[in-house]
Parts: sequence; structure tokens; C-alpha cells
Amino acid sequence: MPDLILCEFFKLKRKPLFFAASAASGLIPLGCALFLPDFHTFSSGAEAVDSMMSSLFQMSATLLLMPALVVLASNLFFEEHDNDTLKNIVTVPVSMPALALAKIFLLLLFSMAFMAAGGLINLIILTAAGWEPTGFWRLFFVGIGQGILMWAGAMPCIFLVVALNRSYIISVIIAFFYTAVNYIFGTSDLFITQPFGLNPGTLLPGSLTFRWYFQYLDFSDPGAEMARLLERISSSFLNAAQAFGTAGMEAFVFFILIALVYRRQGRQKG
Amino acid sequence: MSDIIIETRGLTKRYGDQVSVSKLNLHVKKGRIYGLLGRNGAGKTTTMRMLLGLAAPSAGTVHLFGRPLKGGEREILPRVGSLIESPGFYPNLTGTENLKIFARLRKLKNEAAIKNALELVNLPWRDKKLYSQYSLGMKQRLAIALAIMHNPELLILDEPLNGLDPIGIAEVREFIRALCDESGKTILISSHILSEIALLADDIGIIDGGVLLEEESFSELEQKNGRYFRFLVSNAPVAARILSDGLGISSAAVNGGHELTVRDPRLDMGEAIRLLVEAGLTVTDAHLCEDTLEDYFKKITGGEGIA
Repeated sequence: MPDLILCEFFKLKRKPLFFAASAASGLIPLGCALFLPDFHTFSSGAEAVDSMMSSLFQMSATLLLMPALVVLASNLFFEEHDNDTLKNIVTVPVSMPALALAKIFLLLLFSMAFMAAGGLINLIILTAAGWEPTGFWRLFFVGIGQGILMWAGAMPCIFLVVALNRSYIISVIIAFFYTAVNYIFGTSDLFITQPFGLNPGTLLPGSLTFRWYFQYLDFSDPGAEMARLLERISSSFLNAAQAFGTAGMEAFVFFILIALVYRRQGRQKG
Repeated sequence: MSDIIIETRGLTKRYGDQVSVSKLNLHVKKGRIYGLLGRNGAGKTTTMRMLLGLAAPSAGTVHLFGRPLKGGEREILPRVGSLIESPGFYPNLTGTENLKIFARLRKLKNEAAIKNALELVNLPWRDKKLYSQYSLGMKQRLAIALAIMHNPELLILDEPLNGLDPIGIAEVREFIRALCDESGKTILISSHILSEIALLADDIGIIDGGVLLEEESFSELEQKNGRYFRFLVSNAPVAARILSDGLGISSAAVNGGHELTVRDPRLDMGEAIRLLVEAGLTVTDAHLCEDTLEDYFKKITGGEGIA
């Protein structure tokens, strides 16, 4: 399996889509640094870290990472069909589920790296602006955790893209629709206050990740609006076991489905 | 161990109602080149795909190295090198980078294996040219390099000479022959080009409409092929009568006014020419001819030649 994953990395060489997706990890932090008016009015390093990392969690992960994962997945899964390389791989022999697992694992690493890169760019910006990065590393690892949750959350959408087979345009449409739904669900009280269980507020990545990472932000001095929000949603926060357990199960179920569909497609190709 | 490296028993592939390959019993012997000959769409590629586990048979079995392929892929396929249909590689990588990926998948740690394979097919090692910029011939050579890189015992090559220029065809043909003669590899090669199979193969299988019509060694085929005498004369009907009266040859066939063919091995050509000339006929050509593989193919398939 490590060789299979390494090969997946080698295949990304000179792929503009991969570089564009990677570069997107720096978009939100740089945008915040350049355009947010309150960037220059933070009262402390802790507040600056909190604000920057919060933007990363709310915008970078939901609005950029999710579509990047799905579009990249469509590219990874279709490239063997497009380039007619499947026959070379199957006759090694490598099984289709093993190949699918390697591609899914690559996406997991990409997702974690995307959030880590965004966090580190935040650190560079904060340090360059002269702020003491108080509490940064805790949020940095929360960011990586969110990367894992978003990866698991992208699996249903990746399954849909693989199952529908072909057409990058359809993949892009599905990805952006799913992203929009998740963003809306992740910011709606209706979903983020649902009890832990089989409901959209628990199962959809937007609301699931919000209910996990939000508790790690600094609320030592909340304003009136934030205090009211915390009062409404704090009882719905999920602990790490709940959040990662749910995401892990979702990832497992959808990986099985992806592997089955990918294997069937491989046979049809044969 | 059995002398048979590839054996299929009643191998059949159906796509819906259409039968692509029907009850194929193929036997490829160790250390020989087996040419699978057939028209486009005869079922050659489908057969080869089933031999590699790329397509599941609708019925029948595939045995490689004396073992059933089904369930034994992990042990059997690493001993096989293959080129099926068109070459398939990653366009954003160079030839060497492409081979490195498949070498890693095959757990080949030695870079020399990749280098040797590229050298054997006359492609440069660590060239900067991307696969997407390769000519058709270069792509085909890279696919052959991939097939031989891991030093397999058995090579299954589907139309490996496609896209190569005449020099390239000769080089690859020589190289395939050397793999068999010097390295003892068993090679199954398919083609719709009769002349190529005739130059390469030790054994021949003729497939048509998904059915294996004939399977035999090239030497057996040569013995089976008919020999005949062909004359071009000023008056063929008169010449036929002279040969019949003078030499007792009654099987002379007249084709048009000037061509005469005799399929009787007893004929003494010198004596025949002397008789014809003495009778006042002009003999412009006299040849001992042999049926070609194309003639044989026509006879077996009951149709026109394929190349």
C-alpha cells in the first residue's frame, strides 16, 4: 500500500489542477491579511490568532477545501480510464479496491496538508505583523483535525462523482452544490443545534465540523452577540470521539461504496 | 512441469447476445512464439484480455503455467508481461517516470531494469520529453519496454508492431525473436498482418469470428501448403493438351488464354518446357510456386486475405 500511495503522488507531477488546489490553501489567510479591516485592530496576539484561524476553519475548509477535494478526486479516479493505464495496473496485479484506497488516502493527506499549510501561512502573516501567536499551535492541530473531518465529509460527494462516471463538468457542479449546502447547513441554527444522532446536523460535514471546532476558539471575552450564540449552541458541541467516530464511519461506508463502483467500472472497461 | 504455458479450455466471451470468443482451446508451448492471426474484430484482443484477467470469461477456463488464472492472479501475473491494444501511460510524465511508477508497483527496486528496458527498445533513459509529446512509434516502444521491464517468462503482445516505421518493425521483430531464442521466453503475439506473423511465429492460431479455426506449427503449415507449377505460354489450352498427351499430366488448369497451373508434383519442368517449345509455343515464364500464408488464411477462413 505505501508504494501504491507513493505512485499516486508521482502521478501528480506537472498537474496544474493539483498545484491550483494546493495554492488555494493560502487564499483565505492572505485575503484576510490584506482585506479584513479588523486585522490591524486586534487587541492581543491571542485575538489575532483566534480571528485568523476562525476564518480558516469557516471559509477555507468549507468553501475551498471541499470543492478542491471533490474536483481532485474526480481527476484521480478518472485518470486511469482517461489514460488507459488501468490495464497496466490490473496486470501487475493491483486490485481496484486497493487502487481506490490509495487515491482516497492521498486525498486525506492533501486535506490535512491543505489545512496545515493554511495554518502556517496564518502564522507567518501574524508573526510578520508583529503579533505574538498565543494559542496558535492548539488551533493549528484543530485545523488539521478539521481537514480530516472535511475529507470524510467529502466522501459522499466523491462517491457520487465516481458513480456517475465521466464528465468533469458534472463533478464541478456536484462539488459546488454540495459545498453550498454544507456551508448553509454549517451556519444554520436549525442544523447545528440538532441532537447527536442520525440527522443532517450530525452527518453533514459543515455542521459536524462546526460543532467540533467552534468550542476550541477563544471565548474568554465574548461580545453580547457571541454570548447569545454560545448560549444557543454550546449544548450541541461534539467531543472528539463523537465527531471523529461519525466521520470515520461515514468515510468507511462511502469508501466501500466507492471501491465497489470503481471495481465494477474496471470490469466493464475490461 | 507441463510444456504448455497457456492453455484455454472452452474459453467463451459474450457481450449480451453477441459472442465475441467461442469455445477457444488455445495451446501455447514453452519457449516458442505463437502468432494469433485474425482479421480486425476476430476476437484476438478479447482473448488476450481474458488471458490477463482483464475481462472475465463468460464460460471456460484459462490456465497459465499449468495453473488456473482465476484465483491465482497474484502468483501468475507477475510472471507475465503484456501489451494490450494501444499503449496507456500518464501524459504529464516522461517515459522514464512512467516506467518508474510501474516498477514501484511491481516492487522492482533496481533502476537498471528500467534503463535496460528502455535501451532495448531504443528509448532514452531520463529523457525530458513528456509522454504526451511522444510519436505513436515511441509510445509503442515504451509499452514494449513496460512489458519486458520485469523480465517476465511469458509475453502477451497484442499487435505490438502497430505504429512503428519499417525500420522499427524490423528492429522490434528481431528483438522479439531474440527474446524467445536467447532468453527462452514464451511469446503470444497477435496480428492482422500476415507477413509479420509469417516472419515471427513458430506456431500459428487462426481465429475468425471468435472461433479458433486452426492451430499448428509453422513447419506443419508449410508442409500442408500446396506447391504448384505456373506457366505463361502463348496458348494455354493447347499447352494443357500437350502436357496431357506427352507427360500424362491431366491436372493442368487453364486460367485465361495464357496461364497454366499444374498441381502435380510428378511434373518435370524441364521436360515440360521442352515439349511446349517443340510444339511451337512460346514459354515466357515458368515457376515453381508455393501457397502463401495468405492463401492458407483465405482457404481456412473462406474469405479474402487480411493484409
